[in-house]
Amino acid sequence: MAQTIAIPGQLLGPSSKYVAGPGTHIHEANLYSSVLGTVTIAQPEKKIAPGPAKRLTKIAGLPSSSAQLPTISVSRTGITEKREVLPEVGNVVLCRVTRIQPRQATVAILVVGDTVLEAEWQGVIRPQDVRATEKDKVKIYESFRPGDIVRAQVISLGDQASYYLATASNDLGVIMATSEAGNVMYPVSWKEYRDPETGINENRKVAKPF
Amino acid sequence: MADRRRINGPVGATTPPIFDKPAGPVATKTSDAIRKIFLKTGITPSASGSAYLELENPNPQRPGNTSLKLSCTVHGPRSLPRSAPFSPHIILTTHVKYAPFATRQRRGYLRDSSERDLGVHLETALRGAIIADRWPKSGVDIIVTVVEGDQDRDSPESQKDDEGWDMMNVLSGCITVASAAIADAGIDCVDTVAGGVAALVCEDDKTAPTIVMDPIVAEHGSILAACCVAYLPTRDEITNMWFKGRLPGADMMVYDKLMEKSLVACRCANRVIVQELNETVKKGQGIS
Repeated sequence: MAQTIAIPGQLLGPSSKYVAGPGTHIHEANLYSSVLGTVTIAQPEKKIAPGPAKRLTKIAGLPSSSAQLPTISVSRTGITEKREVLPEVGNVVLCRVTRIQPRQATVAILVVGDTVLEAEWQGVIRPQDVRATEKDKVKIYESFRPGDIVRAQVISLGDQASYYLATASNDLGVIMATSEAGNVMYPVSWKEYRDPETGINENRKVAKPF
Repeated sequence: MADRRRINGPVGATTPPIFDKPAGPVATKTSDAIRKIFLKTGITPSASGSAYLELENPNPQRPGNTSLKLSCTVHGPRSLPRSAPFSPHIILTTHVKYAPFATRQRRGYLRDSSERDLGVHLETALRGAIIADRWPKSGVDIIVTVVEGDQDRDSPESQKDDEGWDMMNVLSGCITVASAAIADAGIDCVDTVAGGVAALVCEDDKTAPTIVMDPIVAEHGSILAACCVAYLPTRDEITNMWFKGRLPGADMMVYDKLMEKSLVACRCANRVIVQELNETVKKGQGIS
């Protein structure tokens, strides 16, 4: 199938027929492309067994009739292997711990979702975001060490320097760690990694293996 | 201020050797057309996006004749330096730099005021096209290098007072090439911005001044006024306008006509961008 090419500013269709996806913008009730790439139209997914309806906390419009509309987006896949993305709130990222302090762990974000980043973005994990329970007992140095690879979720754009990340979930936390002796360790519990050569346990906020 | 760390060329103007061959036929461009544009994206592999623009040289036989050659690189979006304050949108930085050999008068390595001026104009032109809040906390650097500055070396006597009319052409080229490079880098834009120039020229004292699109400065007797516009064709919006010169008093419509002609020039340039961007995508699909 020949894909349609879109260049910035190209008209894609009226906003009454499509929902704006990534790489598009709306101007005067029309959808336009905002990046160079190929157009993809995704049909809306059928909702399977919706959970208990959430109580509305803000005034929303009509229970979105737009949910039935197909999403149109412009993607740059195929043009270039290099793809620059920004960490966004809600993304799961992989990062390396660069520095630990009592009040925070500083990390370098390396991967967002499936995309390896070109640039390195700085993130911060605060003690209250390390785990969901017993937040007051969290100690950063019992959760992370410099060099660990951590799977975390972006919770805020943060301040000028760093994104705020959280590991407050079972599948988030340290996924790769090296011991003080320099050996790659394996997880033994939700809070411990063990060095296979020396047999010493070290404390970490361990991510649950899949 | 002499730069002692580098090997500098002669300070004053230099003239290339003049050969004893009669110059070829002098081709003249019609006043209602712009010169042909060569535009290519992705020429700098290390940059996030890049483009190269060259204007057709109407008289390639004449040795001293040059056209406009621009190279643009876009670096980013990348994280801001630690010292920078929080920014909810992308920080745009533009640099326009003449190569030392780009103009008749040799340029220094340091940026002078005209280059800074061009950079500011370029930034304004691009700022209106970029959707800045798609990239919070990031910065992008746009660097345009002027390899050849559209100054005819053959006719130094016809332009004794260099009034900088060629800067208009350089700016319009900068806008066009930066627009292509930004699209190549994948930065969100509302439209492809294009630059165009129109000028009010006076060939001699007897004839009435006429309006010319994309003026070749060396080919005209004198330029009275010129207008460089950055334009978003699908939105029908102008992001930057630079008007310079003096209009003959009586006719107020000349101002409007100059604007209209430069918009036509923008539309012409934009068609080149659109075609080249389409080819960029096709080329990328061919590889993958």
